[in-house]
Amino acid sequence: MDIAAAGPTSPLEPWPDTVDWQPVSRDLIWVELIRWGMAALSMLLPLGILWAVFGVWPLGLAFVAVLVLMLWRVWTIFRAVRAWGYAERDHDLLVRHGLLVRRLSIVPYARMQFVDVSAGPLERAFNLATVQLHTAAAASDAKVPGLRPAEASRLRDRLTALGEDRAEGL
Amino acid sequence: MGEEPRRRLHPLSPLLHGAKALVVIVVALSWQTLREVGLGFFALMVLVVVIGAVIMSVVSWYNTGYHVVGHELRVYEGLLWRRTRAIPLERLQSVEVVRPLLAQLTGLAELRLEVVGGGKTEAPLAYLSVADAAALRDRLLAIAGRAPAAAEDAATPLAPPRVPGDGPLLLAVRNRDLVISQLLTPQAMFLPIGVAFVVVQFGFDPSWSFIGVASTLTAIAGVLLQPVRRVLSDWNFRLSHADRAMRLRFGLVETRSQTVPVDRVQGVTATWPLLWRGHGWLRLTLDVAGMAGQENGNNETDRLLPVGTAAEAERVAGTVLPGVTLGGLAFAPPPPRTRWFHPLARPKIGVALTDRVVATQEGLLTRTVMLVPYARIQSVRVVQGPLQRLLGVATVYADTARGRSATLRDRDLAEAWRLADDLARLGRAARQAAPDRGAAVVPAPTTDPDAAPLQPST
Repeated sequence: MDIAAAGPTSPLEPWPDTVDWQPVSRDLIWVELIRWGMAALSMLLPLGILWAVFGVWPLGLAFVAVLVLMLWRVWTIFRAVRAWGYAERDHDLLVRHGLLVRRLSIVPYARMQFVDVSAGPLERAFNLATVQLHTAAAASDAKVPGLRPAEASRLRDRLTALGEDRAEGL
Repeated sequence: MGEEPRRRLHPLSPLLHGAKALVVIVVALSWQTLREVGLGFFALMVLVVVIGAVIMSVVSWYNTGYHVVGHELRVYEGLLWRRTRAIPLERLQSVEVVRPLLAQLTGLAELRLEVVGGGKTEAPLAYLSVADAAALRDRLLAIAGRAPAAAEDAATPLAPPRVPGDGPLLLAVRNRDLVISQLLTPQAMFLPIGVAFVVVQFGFDPSWSFIGVASTLTAIAGVLLQPVRRVLSDWNFRLSHADRAMRLRFGLVETRSQTVPVDRVQGVTATWPLLWRGHGWLRLTLDVAGMAGQENGNNETDRLLPVGTAAEAERVAGTVLPGVTLGGLAFAPPPPRTRWFHPLARPKIGVALTDRVVATQEGLLTRTVMLVPYARIQSVRVVQGPLQRLLGVATVYADTARGRSATLRDRDLAEAWRLADDLARLGRAARQAAPDRGAAVVPAPTTDPDAAPLQPST
């Protein structure tokens, strides 16, 4: 995909020659857009009604501000979804995400405690699922959203198989 | 069931629980009630409630039992709601024998287990006789430390059978130093100012009511409570090292004896408080997974050395993390362009990689060094905020099971990637070189393995 080859020299992508980044499904954009749209609507609608009824200018200003914010957020959703990526290396799983605050997690398979596969109603509607890897450390965040069900199952099975291979205590 | 009969707690336990309840009851009934109903009736009420509490305790004692089955400690509880807990000893992180004052008078002790993943102390067995508690502790530790396979035994040939008892004394903290060190805390320093404030207020403004003075004094006492409590709990601090486990003994009113296997240590933190610099003292704390904050708000149960000189700390740290010298760490500060983030503290921030641990240093006034063994790193993260992006730096985190992470702050981006890669690689190498003892932690069940994670809604 063109997302994986977005730019090997970008600071988001370390070790470009050894790591093969996998993008998440672009359908995640729709999921995020709908989620955001509902949140935005719940703010815009009351504001709009109040503005129409009272017609005072601060309400109008707030309405426009929320609208601009929403449109800007739509733009970032596109980029944020493209920024998500994961890579399976020999010994660890890499997950990167975030635009404003960029994060990369390196989680060794041997440290895996359990794997969660989840899919909310919205994700199900777009045939997507989220895989989350849990370690004993609460701070590690290895979450990969926007996976096709087949890919999610494959990743889960692979992670559990590798985790069992290298299973150990703490 | 097992080859071993179920055992009961010590028969005196209900009495001790009842005595504990007495205090609670008296407080609950309060002086108000005493004034209203008169002394005789008050005593009667207390007596009735205490007898009730003791009867309840006897019933619960009768139904409580424990025994060791294979690699598990099973604890049975409850009359109406039966509860059986099986505690996998492979996950055992530390064992503590606690002896509150009453238990000391009666020769009893409480056994507390810390298990990884437990939010709170698992299975406090209250109370056992001291000999029983010590024997059970040694037995549990022996089981916890036993390699799961014979092959692994061969890999670690120098694992002598665990001897009960304490082993050679590594360090004893002088009580005088302990008191001085606690006097050199901000709280204790605040005392003269507080007293002067009260005296001046009272002198200049006699209308200041007695209640005001009393409440100020109460506040001062509250502030002083923490150092006093530290002195009481760390009194007679003895540290010994036996058979790959640290044994800590401390306490004046309530004595505790804590045992932590060395290979369960998630990290060590050294702190040099500002006021201790004159003496060159520092404090060491221990990170152990699953060590819960104790119920009395005193969450400093993870102390390794309440106060000590550099040489003493060096010896202790070298025992817990072999091959590590606190003084010999060469910390590399973040690049000079990050001085905008830390105008004063930048030279004091730093990171050092040794062959066993990653060390981070922080703090301008109170210097803190955190050591995390590579073998205990759970995951590595690289985080870059928007301001950091402007300066081309990023922060690397090495997460441990304790929940605290070693923070490698504001490294140059290229260096951050290299550090992250190094940490991941060194962590893997350390895990393979010294496989963790104990059997595999069985992963919690995930979603149904056969079903696809989701079905199309049609």
